Amino acid sequence: MTQAPPRAAARSYRERPVGLTETETVGDGALLVLHSVTKTYPNGNTALRDVELVVPEGDFVFLVGPSGAGKSTLIRLLIRDEIATDGAVILDGQDVARLTRRQVPRIRRKIGIIFQDFKLLPTKTVWENVAFALEVTGTPRRRIAPAVDRVLSLVGLAAQAQQLPGQLSGGEQQRTAIARALVHDPRLVIADEPTGNLDPLISWEIIQLLLRINELGVTVLMATHNAEIVTALRKRVVALEDGRIIRDEVGAAYHRED
Amino acid sequence: MISFVGFSLKRAWLGFWRNSVMSLAATATMVFMLVLLSGFFVILTGLNAGLQFVEQKVQIVADVRKAAPDLAIMSLRDRTAALPEVASVEYVDPTEALRRFRERLAQQGREDLTQYLDSNPLPGSIEVKLKDPRVFGNVVEFLRADPAIQRVQEVQTLIDRVLTVTNLLRTGGLVVLGLVGIVVLFIIINTIRLAVVARSEEIEIMRLVGASDAFIRWPFIFEGALVGLLGAAITLGLMALAADPLGRIMTGFFEVLPLQLGSLGRDLTVLVLGTGVGLGVLGSWVSVRSYLLK
Repeated sequence: MTQAPPRAAARSYRERPVGLTETETVGDGALLVLHSVTKTYPNGNTALRDVELVVPEGDFVFLVGPSGAGKSTLIRLLIRDEIATDGAVILDGQDVARLTRRQVPRIRRKIGIIFQDFKLLPTKTVWENVAFALEVTGTPRRRIAPAVDRVLSLVGLAAQAQQLPGQLSGGEQQRTAIARALVHDPRLVIADEPTGNLDPLISWEIIQLLLRINELGVTVLMATHNAEIVTALRKRVVALEDGRIIRDEVGAAYHRED
Repeated sequence: MISFVGFSLKRAWLGFWRNSVMSLAATATMVFMLVLLSGFFVILTGLNAGLQFVEQKVQIVADVRKAAPDLAIMSLRDRTAALPEVASVEYVDPTEALRRFRERLAQQGREDLTQYLDSNPLPGSIEVKLKDPRVFGNVVEFLRADPAIQRVQEVQTLIDRVLTVTNLLRTGGLVVLGLVGIVVLFIIINTIRLAVVARSEEIEIMRLVGASDAFIRWPFIFEGALVGLLGAAITLGLMALAADPLGRIMTGFFEVLPLQLGSLGRDLTVLVLGTGVGLGVLGSWVSVRSYLLK
């Protein structure tokens, strides 16, 4: 990993950027800023309402909330799979809604994304699955092999490199997906229910891995329903309900503690 | 750049063989359509040559006054020949006209009534062949204005009719050709779309890890081009095998016409290759487009 060490969160990221007009005025230490973001789908469903969120570089954020609260929509806005109806989504100083078609792939390379269902290609080996992410983004061949070997040893899969996903356990498959997400040296890792298909012990392994990645300076945003893990780790918790952020606390539990 | 082209070609090749049944089905469809296209093209070329021949037959006939002196007629013939629209001019004198008339009657097996005449009633005529049968106005005017000419036979209707028929046949042929092309295009689009859908998971991952549109698109474009190329090669092989027997039938059928089929083979190769690869590429482009426009 070549990231700079995590910057101290000098500014309080819960302070709302009031009167924000220019994208340049924010982002000092913040990797991700959502400013009064509203998303209404063409069918009239409003998935997010007036969301304010600032995530500084190096942060570890749990995104919690019931199904349909808007977690998936928020993630899709970040990777620009969808565009906000209103408000601004600013990643690394760039307003993602204003990106041209050519720029979208570039911003996605700053993000590593992990899913509940792994999304591995079944006909490719672990090594090929990870290398695929570099091949399709035009990385020169000589740089691919060292990068793949490095992330595979980081996630502890060097020995399984030549196996097919079908021959691996669920935890190993998810670690392959994490390796693929990391191989671009992303600034932000988004994990969408990464432990949803895994048993508790394996889930903890995955979380440990994400924490280690975070220690290396990568910002992690993890959407989850796993109350046990969220409460045990006492990280920052952002709770969504009905499209609104109803809670944003550091060192919090899964449920509100009063 | 080189690695990009190499990557795309490699993936196109792998993609073609991974879905080999589908790819070969697409190729077979392509071959079928291209053979159809070639057939139409050959027939159309023959038809066109025939039509050209018929069009060349169209000529202006001007009857010469009985009283006109030979010198005036010869002078008129030479001046007509000098007109830019004119291909050739022939003077048919009354004796020759009568001979031709009798010949025609004999051919039709009718009794020659002219033998009962004591003098030749037919006028001499100037027959003009045009370079382009559509441009006859000037020549007709020119002949009409000359005092040696009694009347110019009404050619406009005849020329118009011939041209209408030939244009209709040409346009009809082109329309059929175009329709066949559109059918091929839709089949190719559908086939490639199936290939794209079969790999939608892969495309989704490519998008998520930040692959540019070109990296997603070009392997499919090359795959479409491969289907087109293979289809065209097979079609041309089939045509080469069929060329000899077909050529004999063609020359037999169109024997009466001075057909020039020299460039047909070259034109056909260009047409089949161009259409095959073009449709393959276009079909892929359209199929992948809908995936990239998200």
